[in-house]
Amino acid sequence: MTKAFGHIPTVSFQSRLRYLATRRSIRLTSEGVRFLLFTVGIGVAAINTGNNLFYLLLAMMLSLVVISGLLSEHCLRRLEFHRHLPDLIMANDPTTVTLSVTNHNRWLPSFSLRLSDVASGQHVDRGLFIDHLAAQRSVLLSYPIVASTRGKLYLDCVRAETLFPFGLFLKRALYQVPAEIPVSPPIRPVSLRFVDEIISEGQGLSLPRRGHGTQLYNLRLYQAGDDSRAIHWMTTARTSTLMVRETEAEDQRRITIALSTLAPDERNTLFEHSVTLVASLLWHLSQRSYPLRLIVHEADSGPGCGSDHLLAMLRLLALCERRAPDAAGSSLSNPVLTLGHDADRGYTVVVLPWSDPEAPAAVSGDRVLHASHIEGLTHGF
Amino acid sequence: MVFNQACRVSAIVLAATAFVGLLFARSVPVWLATLTLTVLVFATLQTFGWPGRKTVLSGLPAAPSVWNSLLIGAFLLFLLDLTVISRELLPAGIHFLVLLLNVKLMTLHDRRDYRHLYAISLMAILASAALTTDVWYISVFILYLLAAVWSLLLHHLTGGPPSANPAVAQVSSRASWFITSRFFWLTNGIAVLTFLFTLVIFFILPRVSIGVLQQPRGEGLRTTGFSERVDLGMIGSVKEDRQIVMRVELPDQADAGKERFYLRGLAYDQYNGRSWSSGSRQRRTLGSIADGVFAVRSGANRTGHELSEPLRQDILLEALDTSVLFAAPFAEFVSADFIGIHVDSMAGLHLPYTTSSRIRYSVVSREHRISSEDRAAAELEYASAIRDHFLQIPEGSDQVRHLARRVTESAVTPHERTTAILNHLQSEYQYSLDAETSTSLHPIDDFLFHRKTGYCEHYATAMVIMLRTLGIPARLVTGFLATEWNEFGGYYTVRQRDAHAWVEVFYPHSGWITLDPTPTTSSIPSPSMWEGVQRLGESIRLHWDRAFIRYSARDQMAVIHSFREGSDSARDAVTRWTVALGAAALHLIRTSIGPVQASHPIVAWTLLLASVIALSALILAVRHRWPSGHFTRGVPVRRQQQIVQHYRSMLRIVARRGIRIAPSTTPTELMQHVRQSWSEAESAVAELTALYCRGRFGNSSLSSGELVRAVEQIRDLQRLARASQ
Repeated sequence: MTKAFGHIPTVSFQSRLRYLATRRSIRLTSEGVRFLLFTVGIGVAAINTGNNLFYLLLAMMLSLVVISGLLSEHCLRRLEFHRHLPDLIMANDPTTVTLSVTNHNRWLPSFSLRLSDVASGQHVDRGLFIDHLAAQRSVLLSYPIVASTRGKLYLDCVRAETLFPFGLFLKRALYQVPAEIPVSPPIRPVSLRFVDEIISEGQGLSLPRRGHGTQLYNLRLYQAGDDSRAIHWMTTARTSTLMVRETEAEDQRRITIALSTLAPDERNTLFEHSVTLVASLLWHLSQRSYPLRLIVHEADSGPGCGSDHLLAMLRLLALCERRAPDAAGSSLSNPVLTLGHDADRGYTVVVLPWSDPEAPAAVSGDRVLHASHIEGLTHGF
Repeated sequence: MVFNQACRVSAIVLAATAFVGLLFARSVPVWLATLTLTVLVFATLQTFGWPGRKTVLSGLPAAPSVWNSLLIGAFLLFLLDLTVISRELLPAGIHFLVLLLNVKLMTLHDRRDYRHLYAISLMAILASAALTTDVWYISVFILYLLAAVWSLLLHHLTGGPPSANPAVAQVSSRASWFITSRFFWLTNGIAVLTFLFTLVIFFILPRVSIGVLQQPRGEGLRTTGFSERVDLGMIGSVKEDRQIVMRVELPDQADAGKERFYLRGLAYDQYNGRSWSSGSRQRRTLGSIADGVFAVRSGANRTGHELSEPLRQDILLEALDTSVLFAAPFAEFVSADFIGIHVDSMAGLHLPYTTSSRIRYSVVSREHRISSEDRAAAELEYASAIRDHFLQIPEGSDQVRHLARRVTESAVTPHERTTAILNHLQSEYQYSLDAETSTSLHPIDDFLFHRKTGYCEHYATAMVIMLRTLGIPARLVTGFLATEWNEFGGYYTVRQRDAHAWVEVFYPHSGWITLDPTPTTSSIPSPSMWEGVQRLGESIRLHWDRAFIRYSARDQMAVIHSFREGSDSARDAVTRWTVALGAAALHLIRTSIGPVQASHPIVAWTLLLASVIALSALILAVRHRWPSGHFTRGVPVRRQQQIVQHYRSMLRIVARRGIRIAPSTTPTELMQHVRQSWSEAESAVAELTALYCRGRFGNSSLSSGELVRAVEQIRDLQRLARASQ
C-alpha cells in the first residue's frame, strides 16, 4: 500500500526517476484543442484591437484552463490505492484482482477517474472507471488479470486519469503500488497411461507402514487403551499373553519428482515444457492424494500432501530458473543427478530436459525422463 | 432535474445570454430578435416536456437535409447582407450568427450539436464585446461565465467514460443522475472561482494593441462654444442637455465637491457685436519633459505672480467633436498618453486631432491671485500687446460705455471698477435661459438696457465690453462650470448643460484673473432619491470604464509600482519590528540572566541549557501530538477519538452489568456476550460497536450525525442499566 506521493517503496533508482518523471502528465483532448484554438483566436483579436472586453473574454478562457488544471489535480490528489492479490496465480488462468481506492480529500469528491495498471512500464487498461468518489470514502473495484508465462508478475503502479471538469485535458497521475506475484506453470492434461504407470511402479516400491488397512503388518503385546477388537485371539491363546494385530497402511505410496534446471539456451522451450509437465504431474498425483516431494535443483519441498503442499511446490516451479551448463558442459554440479539414497524419497521420477551427450551421468532415479520422453509427453502442450 | 435535462437547460441559457449581449448592443434587427426569442422559448418548453411540443414539432421539418438547406440559405442571406444590405462584415456576421444559433437550438440532439452551440455562443458574446463598452456587459459576462461553467461541466459528465477498451468499460449512468444541492453549490463554487481567476488574469495580462485592420468607430459628442467663432446664444442651446462630457477627480483635495469648479476651454478676444472670435489663434507644440508629461508653463517662470496651491485633476473626457482639452485655470503640466499637445496664445490646450474614444489625462493647474499692488494701484499700465488685443470693442458701444462709467463712478482704482461692474451685473440682472438673442442685432444692448435677463454668455460679454470701455483688458472664456458632485465615485460629473462662459481680467502684476459675473442660479432642484440612484449608476459606470474599458499597460505599471512601494514599506515595517523585538528580547535576557551570570556563571549557563532542552522537548512533544497530517485530517482524527471514548463508556456500562470483558475479547465477541446476557441492550451495543469498528478501524470518518447517534445509544444504555437495577 502506498500513499499518493509520500513514501516510495524500495525500488530501483531508475524506477524512482521514471516515477518522478511520469507521475503527472497532461494531454489535450480534441475538445481541448478546439478550445485552445478559440482562445488563441480571441487572444489575437485582443492584441490586435486592444479592446479590453476581448481581454476579459481571453481571461475567462484562460481561467477555465487554469480551473481545469486545478480541479483535475484535485481529483487525482490524496488518493490511496491498495491491491488485493492472491499468493499464487497460474499462467493463462484468469485471476481476480481487487483494487481498493480511497479518497483522502477532506471536502471535495473526485470525479471521472479512469484507472489502469502499469506493469513493467506498460499501461494496461482494465476498463476501471469511477464516476464519483466522495470525500473520505473508499470503493472496491475488481478485474481479471491473466499472466501468459510462469515466473514473477510485477505490477508497478496504478495510473489514474481524469477528464474532469470540462473534458478539455486528460490529466494522469501515477501511484506507486508495487506488487509481485509468482506465476506457476499452467496445468495441462497429461497422458493417463503415463500417470498410471508411475502410480503402479511406485506402488511396487512402496515401503510397508503401519496404518489402516487389511493386510497384517505386525503382532505385538496388548497395551492399555488398545482397541479390544484388534486382539489376535489365536496368538493370545497360544502364548497366553494378550496380543494385538496391527495392519499395514494401504496408501503409503510416496513419489518424488526431481527436475533438472540445467539446459542450454536452445533447450529453453523444452525446459519450460518440462516445468509444465512436472506441475501437471504434481497436480494429477495430488488429486489422487499421493504424498509428493519436489526437488528443483537445490530447492526441496519436502514430502507432503494436500493443497497447501501443492501450492508450495507450484511456487517452487514458478520461481525456478533455467541454468545454462558451464563451458565444460559439466553436470556434476546438478544436485538432481546426484540424489543419494533416501528411504523417505519413495518412487523417484527424474526429469532431465538436457543431459550432457559427451559425458552421460548416471542418474539415481526410479524413472528418468530424458528429452525425448519429455518431448513425447508434452507434445500437446 | 437529471443531468441530461440540466445540460440542455444550461446550453439554452448560454445561448440566451450570448443573444442578450447582442440584443443589448443593438445589433440584432427586430424581426431576428423576435424569431430568436420565440425559438428560445420553444427550446425551453421542449426541454421541460411541454405537451404541445409534439404538435409544433410535427409542423417542423425533421429531415437533416432541410436544416442543412436552411443553413445554406442563411449563408446566402449573409452574403446578401454583406454586399447589399448592411455592407459591413460585423453586422452581417452577427445576423448570420444569430440565424445559426436558431438552427442549432431547433436541432439540439447530439453532443456535437451542443459543442456547435457553445462555439456559436462564444462568437456571439465576442461580437457583443466588439460592439459595446457599456457597463451592462459585465452582468451579461458573469451570466455567460456561469452558464459556460455549468454547460461544460454537464457536457463532460453526461458523456460516457473514456475508454480505449469499450468492451470492458462500465456503462455510465451519469446522464440520469440528479442535480443534488451539493452538486449545485459545487458547480456554482467552480463558477465563482473561475470568475475570480478571470479577474486576476485580466488584470495581469500584458496589454498590447497592434491595431491592424481597425476601423474608427462613431463620431464624437457634439459640443458648442469651443470653435474658432462663438455666436452669442450658442451655449444656451445646450443648457438642457444632460449628456455627460467629462468626469473630473481632484485626488489631492480632501474637501472637493463643495465649491463650483471651472474647467477652462478656450478664450476669445475679438467681439463684433454678435459673436466672439480669436484674433490670433497661433499654436505652439508643447515639449515633453518626461514620458507622457507636457509642460504648459511653469509657475517658476511666472515670478511676481501670486499663485494658488497646485491643483491636480484627473479628467476622463468623452469623445467630442472638438480637440480642445479642458482643465482648471491655468494648466501647468499635462500628463497623458498623447503623442503631442498644442497650446494657443490664450492658454487654450488642444490635441493635434479629435478623438473617437474617451481619453484620460491629468492636469496640474495653479490659479492667479490679485496682488496687493494691483489691488491698490490707482492706474495700471499695460503692455502694448495686451492693449492691442484685449481692449477692442465693437462699434456703437457708447451706451455701454456710459453705463460702465455710471456704475464705476465711485470707484477709484481699476480693481474697484472691476468689482463694481461685477457686482452690478450680479445684482441688477436676472438669470434666464429664455433669452432668445440669436436674432437680435445688438444682443448686449438688449441684455443691458431692455430685457435685463440672460445667461452666462450675456453676462460675460457685457462685463468684458464694459471693462474694455474703461480701458481694463479683459477676455471671454468658454468652458464648463462643474457643480454636480458624485459622492459615490468622488468626482465631478460634467454635462453639456454645464457649458459656461466667464471673464478673465488682466492685471499687470498678477496676470489673468478669473471673474464670473453670472449670478448663481437657484433654479437647480434639490437632489432627489432618483438622482442619487442615477449618480450611483454613473459612479459604477465610471469605475467600470476605469477598471475594465480603459485599463492599460500604464495602469499595470502603476499597480506594480504601488505593490513594490507597498512591499518596501511592509519590509521596512517588518525589519523595524524584528529589530525592536530582538532588542527587547536581548534586554530581557540581560536583565534576567545578567546578575546571575556575574555571580554564578555556571548556574546561568545551566539555566540557559535547560531552557534550550525544554524548548526542544516542547517542540518534539507538539510534533508528536500534532503530526504533519493533522491539519488535513484533524476532523477525522478528532471524531475517531470521540467514538473511542463513547465505546469505552459503553464498556464501562456493560462491565457494571456483570458481563466479563477479557482483554482478548473482540468487539464482536462482546456483542455476542451482550446478546446472551442482556438482550435489551443488544441493539444499542450493536450500533455502537458498528460505529466504533468503522470509525476506529475502517479508515473513514464518522459524520457528526453518527456521533450524535452514538451519544444517544450511550444514554439508552444508561437508562436500561438504571431500570434493571
